[in-house]
Amino acid sequence: MMNGYIIETSQLKKSFKGQPALRGLDLQVPAGSIFGFLGRNGAGKTTTIKALMGLLRADSGTASVFGTPVTDADRSIEIRRRIGFVTEDKELYPYMTVEQMIRFTRPFFPKWRDDLERRYLDMFELPPKKKIPDLSKGMRSKLMLLLAISRGAELLILDEPTDGLDPAATEDVLRELMAIAASKGTTMFFSSHQLSEVELIADHIGIIDRGKMIVSGLLDDMKARYQRLQVVFENSVNLPAHWADGVESVRQEGRVVSILASRNIDAIIEQARSLPGTAVELYPVTLKEIFLEHVRSN
Amino acid sequence: MLWFKGWLETRYRMAFSLCFIGLVMVVAQIGGSKQPPPPGARPDEAIAIMIDSFVVVFFSMLAGAGINTQPAFQATKGLHGSTLFTLSLPVSRLRLLAIRSTIGWVAMALMIILLCIAMGLIAPRSASVTTPRIFEQAAALIACTTGFYYISVLLGTLLDDAWRIWGSMLAFGAFWLLQAYTPLPNSLNLIRAMGLGSPIIAHVMPWGAMAFSLGLAAVLFVAAWKIAERREF
Repeated sequence: MMNGYIIETSQLKKSFKGQPALRGLDLQVPAGSIFGFLGRNGAGKTTTIKALMGLLRADSGTASVFGTPVTDADRSIEIRRRIGFVTEDKELYPYMTVEQMIRFTRPFFPKWRDDLERRYLDMFELPPKKKIPDLSKGMRSKLMLLLAISRGAELLILDEPTDGLDPAATEDVLRELMAIAASKGTTMFFSSHQLSEVELIADHIGIIDRGKMIVSGLLDDMKARYQRLQVVFENSVNLPAHWADGVESVRQEGRVVSILASRNIDAIIEQARSLPGTAVELYPVTLKEIFLEHVRSN
Repeated sequence: MLWFKGWLETRYRMAFSLCFIGLVMVVAQIGGSKQPPPPGARPDEAIAIMIDSFVVVFFSMLAGAGINTQPAFQATKGLHGSTLFTLSLPVSRLRLLAIRSTIGWVAMALMIILLCIAMGLIAPRSASVTTPRIFEQAAALIACTTGFYYISVLLGTLLDDAWRIWGSMLAFGAFWLLQAYTPLPNSLNLIRAMGLGSPIIAHVMPWGAMAFSLGLAAVLFVAAWKIAERREF
């Protein structure tokens, strides 16, 4: 971890029966960050997470966690001891109760936090005597989060952590995750389809599409870089065939044209204002807009 | 804690096995008194032979089922469910393999011992069905089924869930055909060693077949170990 990245992959490739899932993924997750890992269904998020956890072996490229290659058999156990993990499907042992699941997991992790275990048992209202199949998906998500967070891990890898949770529980979980990151310096690497949640807690973003990282960086930088121009025309007008450099997309609905710009904003405004009878307004963009723009243009 | 998990996974199969043993006993009690004994066997040994024919089928199933629920020692796209959780724990695949295969073997051995004790209880007492002979019978059956069991262990490192359960069963079927249609030496004939060549009928321990089965099991286990080791990371 000499370069400050807790997770690092380079040109990571993985195919399943000739179908590429990862096509040379370059990923860097800074230590102490909350990294939102975004992508469409089948973009390669879960495959990446499985490769990082040592659950599948990449065909080529490198992946390291805590500065150690994940393929290092001697040290992979130590890596997993330092990671809290929530799986995508939230499946646990169907023959165990909540209590047994906790009792089973605890001894594997020397830094297990009894205080956090009790806190989340209460907070999530998990019934200790209930068997796993009798829990709703939301309850299973909560139990998995308890099992991941109580490990006292330095890195949390969370695959859709709020999947199945109601809005109130989602709010609680997000607040807790932010508190953990803030107080313990725990790095969080999580995938989610809920862009509003990601926007709420992540400080770094990586967008993966078709097995490649298409954009990655600080969320604030990204949001500062992109701006939306709303141009309203008095009458219908023919839009220019070529916009100034920096225009990422142009969408027209009647007399209203929406322009997403990534740079050269002054020149774009100038060009818009040069059109007859226009009113130009500048808006900040949301993560959703950035995400959609990138995956659509890819 | 992996032993605890193994016990929780095994206990219902154990209970099912006990019920099966009870059923076998009832069938043996009824069928044994009506059917003539096979050639070379005394009437009081017929029950033992009949039970033996059930044993391999039953414990092949048990062994296959035992391996079926173990975490895959593979690393594939198909990994899902609680297997992901298990493999994300700081435990080597080798340890998972060793513990899971040991639990399955112990369960199998325990069931064979219980079956032999039950057999001793219902079989008419004679010079051939004595208490020491029953335990010799149990030892021979355990040793001879071990070879079949470790076929499932090996398959557990190679194949998906659906195939693992049939591993021992298919291997047993193939072996049965082989010994039925070829003049297999007694020391290689595991089916005979659990039937007409077993201590209760033949009055001698089938050492050759037992050694062959245990040797086969050792080879299969080492192969499974090497595969899991190669996948370890």
